[in-house]
Amino acid sequence: MTHPNIEAWTRENAEHYDARAEGAWAKEEIDWGIWRVPEAELRALPDVTGKDVVELGCGTGYFGAWLKKRGASRVVGVDPTPAQLDTARRCNEKFGLGLELVEAFAEEVPLADDSFDLAISEYGASIWADPYKWIPEAARLLRPGGDVVFLCNSPLAMLCSPEEDLPTVETLQRPQFGMFRFQWPDSGVEYHLPHGEWIRLLRANGFEILDLIEIQAPVDAETDQHYDYVSADWASKWPSEEIWRARLST
Amino acid sequence: MASTPEHVEVNRAHWTRSNAEFTDADAEDKWAREEIVWGSFEWPESELRIFGDVAGLDVVELGCGTAYFSAWLARRGARPVGIDVTPAQLDTARRMQARHGLDFQLVEASAEDVPLPDASFDLALSEFGASIWCDPERWIPEAARLLRPGGRLVFARGSTIEQLCFGEERVTERLEHDWSELERMDFRSEGGGIEFHPPVGVTLGVLRRAGFELLALHELLAPPEAETHPHYDFVTADWARRWPSVEIWDARKQA
Repeated sequence: MTHPNIEAWTRENAEHYDARAEGAWAKEEIDWGIWRVPEAELRALPDVTGKDVVELGCGTGYFGAWLKKRGASRVVGVDPTPAQLDTARRCNEKFGLGLELVEAFAEEVPLADDSFDLAISEYGASIWADPYKWIPEAARLLRPGGDVVFLCNSPLAMLCSPEEDLPTVETLQRPQFGMFRFQWPDSGVEYHLPHGEWIRLLRANGFEILDLIEIQAPVDAETDQHYDYVSADWASKWPSEEIWRARLST
Repeated sequence: MASTPEHVEVNRAHWTRSNAEFTDADAEDKWAREEIVWGSFEWPESELRIFGDVAGLDVVELGCGTAYFSAWLARRGARPVGIDVTPAQLDTARRMQARHGLDFQLVEASAEDVPLPDASFDLALSEFGASIWCDPERWIPEAARLLRPGGRLVFARGSTIEQLCFGEERVTERLEHDWSELERMDFRSEGGGIEFHPPVGVTLGVLRRAGFELLALHELLAPPEAETHPHYDFVTADWARRWPSVEIWDARKQA
């Protein structure tokens, strides 16, 4: 049986992401999340020049491509969905960026210990993989002093998301205590943790917490036609997504 | 000399009133307790285990009010100093000290500007004191100054989600405030003072810039048997069993 997330992402890739991939690879500026806030503004990334990077849940690989263009020496994209990796390979050939692509779940990556300086995930493993498995994997893959940087939905947005496939509302829809695994109608399995639990999990795996950037939509943002689960209005009043940055102890 | 910030004056007036209305009369119960408990749902320290052994530690309590928390730590062998900006609360604290035969230093000062030397404490503590009534850009660096390298800062406050849902006089299930309102919340029109509730990401930034490493953020779940507090009834036990009403931050000053 196929994993529900591979099923969901094979479908999503055919309907949407395959067609978007080349445009994303071609971009020069790095931006984050559905509100496309520029890295120049957020400064969530360390200098990647000469660094070895692993992207956990890379999808079509555009984020890794951006880091390669910024001077990363090695970028390995890891994703469990063959269809997304096919798209990534096509783009990789077209743009000649030399990414390495590996078919695997971020919970169990067939790569060596201590082989990367940066582990990154933008709506990849950060929401689609079990954090109690992928955070220890990131710690294993990183060299001492290496950073993990990941973007996910804010816990507040998850608390305000109705059970049905409807946009985020202004009332609390579910308890925070026990918040962990989500399965939406016609979608895969997502994982979301409260802040205190992210901090506990990261520290338990040897990470020091460097930063938490809670992202609000810019005032002139418009609701995205594809990512319509949260309106620009909601996301300009409260953060709908956030970036964590943590460093593996030396 | 720099003039006193507006929130310091406002909050001193608020706590002079609140002490006459509630905390003065409540102090005896608090001081008489044997067990250390946190917040209005009285989470026992014996379960949370935030501190570990405090015997022999130099402790500064920032915004100590009637100083019951310092008293609890003194009984466990710590050497506390209580700092508070409201003379009426310190008067209550002194009366309690005499009655309970516990003597420790009490200093009238704002936690944003403490007249004590650098690197003189092992633990800086605030339970709903400086942690909400003082400007974090001022009191957190001040805590860092007072601590020795490797010293700990522990503070309790209302959670971000509780503050966002704080409607007229009570906590609801609706986002009553925008994110931008959290950093400075003026409750004077509702009989309160001026409070500071920077969200988690912003608070982490203030701690890091002041030289702290974050050890933990405990988001507290009200126990099954908890009942709504008769005085602090703005949040019900039922709400606090679904969302965290209180969070405790634990950080270490880098050596």
